[in-house]
Amino acid sequence: MNLKELNVVGKRIPKLDAAKKAMGRAEYIQDIKLPGMVYGKILYSRYAHANIVKMDTSRARALPGVLCVLTGDDVPKKMRMGFYKDNPPLKKGKVCSFRDEVAAVAAISPEIAKTALDMIEIQYEELPGIFDPEKAMEPDSPLVHDYHKTNVLNLPWKLHYGDVEKAEKESAFVVEERFTTQWVSHCCLGTSGAIALFDSSNNLTIYTNTQIPSLAQKDFLESLKAMGLENKRARVIKPIIGGGFGSKLDTYAYEHIAILLAHACRRPVKILFDRVEEFKAISTRQPTVIYIKQGCDKNGKLTFRDMRMVLDNGAYTSWGATTPSVMMMPITSLYRVENVRYEAKCVYTNNTYSQAMRGYGNPQATFAIESTIDMLAQKAGIDRVEMRRINRNQPGDLTPQGFKISSCGLSECIDAVEKEMDIKGPREKGVGFGIASLIHVGGGARIYKSDGCGAILKMDDYGKVDIFTGGTDMGQGLDNITAQIVAEELGLLVEDINVVHSDTDVCPWDVGAHASRSTFVAGNAALGAAKKVKAVILEEAAKTFGVSPDQIVMKARNIFVPGDAEKTMPIDKLLRKVHFSPQGKMLMADYFYDPDNENMGKDMKGNMSVTYAFGAHGVKVRVDEETGKVEVLDYVAAHDVGRAINPLLLEGQVYGGVVMGLGYALTEEVVTRDGKNMNPNFRDYKLFTAKDAVRIKAPVVETYDEYGPFGAKGIGEPGCVPTAPAVANAIYDAVGVRITTLPITPEKVLAALKEKKKRPLN
Amino acid sequence: MKEFTYLTPTTVEEAVSLYGQHSETAKYMAGGTDVIVKLKEGWMEPDYLISLKKIEELSELRKNDATGDLTIGATVTHAVLEKSIMIQKEYPIIHDAVSNIGSLQVRNVGTIGGNLINAVPSADGAIPMIALDGISLIQGPAGERSVAVKDLFIEPYKTVLKPGEILKKITIPAQAPRTGSAYIKFGRRAAMELPLIGIGVLLSLEEDLETCAKARIVLGVAGPTPMRAYEAEKLLAGQRITEDILRQAGEKAADESKVRDSVRGSAWHRKEMIRVQVRRMGLKCMDIIRNNR
Ligand SMILES: Cc1cc2nc3c(=O)[nH]c(=O)nc-3n(C[C@H](O)[C@H](O)[C@H](O)COP(=O)(O)OP(=O)(O)OC[C@H]3O[C@@H](n4cnc5c(N)ncnc54)[C@H](O)[C@@H]3O)c2cc1C
Repeated sequence: MNLKELNVVGKRIPKLDAAKKAMGRAEYIQDIKLPGMVYGKILYSRYAHANIVKMDTSRARALPGVLCVLTGDDVPKKMRMGFYKDNPPLKKGKVCSFRDEVAAVAAISPEIAKTALDMIEIQYEELPGIFDPEKAMEPDSPLVHDYHKTNVLNLPWKLHYGDVEKAEKESAFVVEERFTTQWVSHCCLGTSGAIALFDSSNNLTIYTNTQIPSLAQKDFLESLKAMGLENKRARVIKPIIGGGFGSKLDTYAYEHIAILLAHACRRPVKILFDRVEEFKAISTRQPTVIYIKQGCDKNGKLTFRDMRMVLDNGAYTSWGATTPSVMMMPITSLYRVENVRYEAKCVYTNNTYSQAMRGYGNPQATFAIESTIDMLAQKAGIDRVEMRRINRNQPGDLTPQGFKISSCGLSECIDAVEKEMDIKGPREKGVGFGIASLIHVGGGARIYKSDGCGAILKMDDYGKVDIFTGGTDMGQGLDNITAQIVAEELGLLVEDINVVHSDTDVCPWDVGAHASRSTFVAGNAALGAAKKVKAVILEEAAKTFGVSPDQIVMKARNIFVPGDAEKTMPIDKLLRKVHFSPQGKMLMADYFYDPDNENMGKDMKGNMSVTYAFGAHGVKVRVDEETGKVEVLDYVAAHDVGRAINPLLLEGQVYGGVVMGLGYALTEEVVTRDGKNMNPNFRDYKLFTAKDAVRIKAPVVETYDEYGPFGAKGIGEPGCVPTAPAVANAIYDAVGVRITTLPITPEKVLAALKEKKKRPLN
Repeated sequence: MKEFTYLTPTTVEEAVSLYGQHSETAKYMAGGTDVIVKLKEGWMEPDYLISLKKIEELSELRKNDATGDLTIGATVTHAVLEKSIMIQKEYPIIHDAVSNIGSLQVRNVGTIGGNLINAVPSADGAIPMIALDGISLIQGPAGERSVAVKDLFIEPYKTVLKPGEILKKITIPAQAPRTGSAYIKFGRRAAMELPLIGIGVLLSLEEDLETCAKARIVLGVAGPTPMRAYEAEKLLAGQRITEDILRQAGEKAADESKVRDSVRGSAWHRKEMIRVQVRRMGLKCMDIIRNNR
């Protein structure tokens, strides 16, 4: 890696749209109003599991101002969502969860649409529901979908490398535990919404809150096809969105319903969620039941890891059911462990269904792994930090799953935590320290047929650049990263770069803003396009200056030959010269970057990511032994990010990730009773507030990854990955109780403390 | 949200008479932090909202130095109470309670009167008003009357106020010398939190600084209305205050409480918190009394 001096990359440049957002000028889906637009609203099921016996929409249809009313009968048979294709946008005959969409209305005002919903009469016949995934696996359990014959989904989540049973026998120490994790919501501050409209030739335009413009386009084209609209176009425009965190990685019923309504009433139709809907009808993080066994030899070297999970799939299937593919990463590759086994079963229940969420299964798996690493260290009588050092991943490792670890700063991250926090030192009563590490994809993640991203770059006569990227900025800062990379490469300033994204009519393909991949993949795409243009500029400048291209430097809007005061000119002047000459040229380039990573094979092996991000978190807590309340006193989150393209935004990602992780660890939970969401509001859903947030130190370890743009690796998700086990380990350190279910509420801690007091000392 | 007409009377009489004109179709509103939520949710659909914010006399906060009485107008906001140095010093239990209500924004507009009349078991502001033996002054079509704050509440969302009646102010009678008071809201986060349980304790001591002259133990979310733990109070009256007796009072208060399991928390933990926090708040009162010497 060439560590030459950089001018734009590595600088703390505030988010490019920060002022616009702060001044209320950013256009969210809430702000968009199209001529002739009408409003759609959705009616949800009144039961977790029931047959729809009768439906009468006549009163709703007759209400003045109502343009159309749709039910399951109006949905083409082949219109089904999710990769398992088990979810029609409006349900027919039977409902399988409270969030089941049973009817939709378009009306000239949201109020009329709402009144119309209240006028739809439905007679249900309630069926016994099943809400516990482990019970749903039993042979006599009610079936969520009769046609599926079993509640267990047919998915390939199984691996076994080495020989776990043999390794267990040979282990000096073995620990075993059961963990459970809860539903949590992304809590995007901007609620979901979409506007669908058709032109006179039945081509669709849809404004929608999505993280995946290209794959959403594919979903919408499939819906059009199911509606008999073959060979039509679908244009997806993503307005500014108030948070993604994985919640917008799949298309939702409301988007397809907006399409159906728009088609039926020939008007633009807007559907906008309120907060209650956002909590109830947007998919959560995947809840899990985890059984884990880990062992080590007498020196603390890990010998095996054996894990089994049951995932509550809910009534329908979205990306939540594929999170085991990413859970496999920490399971097989967090620390060096040769013998690993894992099996996950996704089970239908009458609960809500899950989606992608920051970390994509990694926080759940890491909670179990890192909690038991502490248990194992204790059993083996080895210091917990040492235990992690002994087993740490190192550059050049090939993990059992076939991951090629290129750069790896785990060791330095552990050092950084130790430096900032006196983990081994003495402590006051009730105070404890915890540490936990992480591995995550840092160079794309090949979970789709392509992990690519395209970029198109053009330069004008004034030295300004428009770059059209497939990548999606959703607040995480891809606009900055793209601009900084292009400006660095072309010797320009960030303000010279206009980043255009999230419109499928003008932007190239990209698999989506997920897997911490955008800085790496979209960054490499932008860099590739910039390099192509740069080569042409250098060639032209070489002609002008009469030197060879490699003698020329572009910096701070100028192009020059260092050391020769005669041979210099502003870049824009050169651009005009090139343009306004006989057979002139305007500079443009395109680039499609698809990382050299691998899809998983049948044995689940394959180098999923070109490079991996690592980190270690340390936390100090105080536990009130009389109330069970846990107070976070101090937090260190050290990450190997390859290179910080923008340290300011990087810290923002880490802070946000850690606070999200702390909520996951301590307070957040979608509370359900027989499938019903009992806390669909911010009063009872305990998202951390500004007052709860703690000071976070975020040391950055730079390992300059050879594949990353300017050495960078992804950092979008890692912040929330090892938070919960770090906290659980700190609580154990403080008061000697091991909490195995999230969130770690005062009630659970106090119950465990009481239980511990009852136990005779051993 | 249904449309309504917004009325802004400047005297209590005018407000009461406006209510008389529109009766059941009207609703009083102070800060609106409860009312607006209910309007949006459709739980309340008035045609007229009568704002009490323009009635000057309702926003009075005054300590009568001659009598020692404290007057808190119904529309005094939580923020005003929170920031008052006099309240902080002399009525720490009020400060404890109001300074953790909702968020800064909620405290800036939410009022003590609204908090009482909304009458939820979790009303933070109710606990200190009861512990301090507050008397509410009410005015309605039939004139004025007084009701002890502890007797205001009938059930969730229901007080003894009759249609058209307005809560004007709360009077806190002069406190005995050597009095300490404290409140804690036990919840899961530091802001925007309804208490899982709210515990207020007030102790007045005899001159020996040991014997309890008066005790108040008031609980929120321990029953359908904010409640006093009379048995626990009795246990302390006339006794030497020690950590041990405070622990016993905590046990008693927990027994007296009518805590329930809910999605927010379970009954056993709430009871446990009463046990612990009655003792802790009692000790805090003792500290306050000693420090004021
Ligand atoms: C985000 C949020 C957080 C909150 N957090 C807390 C909290 O932590 N603790 C807590 O206790 N509460 C909390 N609340 C509830 C609320 O803010 C308080 O109860 C507040 O004190 C209500 O006062 P208000 O002036 O806004 O009442 P309003 O909404 O104006 O009125 C409430 C009720 O009282 C009636 N009313 C008001 N004034 C009078 C009067 N003078 N005479 C007769 N009737 C009257 C109204 O008709 C209405 O029925 C929260 C609310 C929100 C929105």
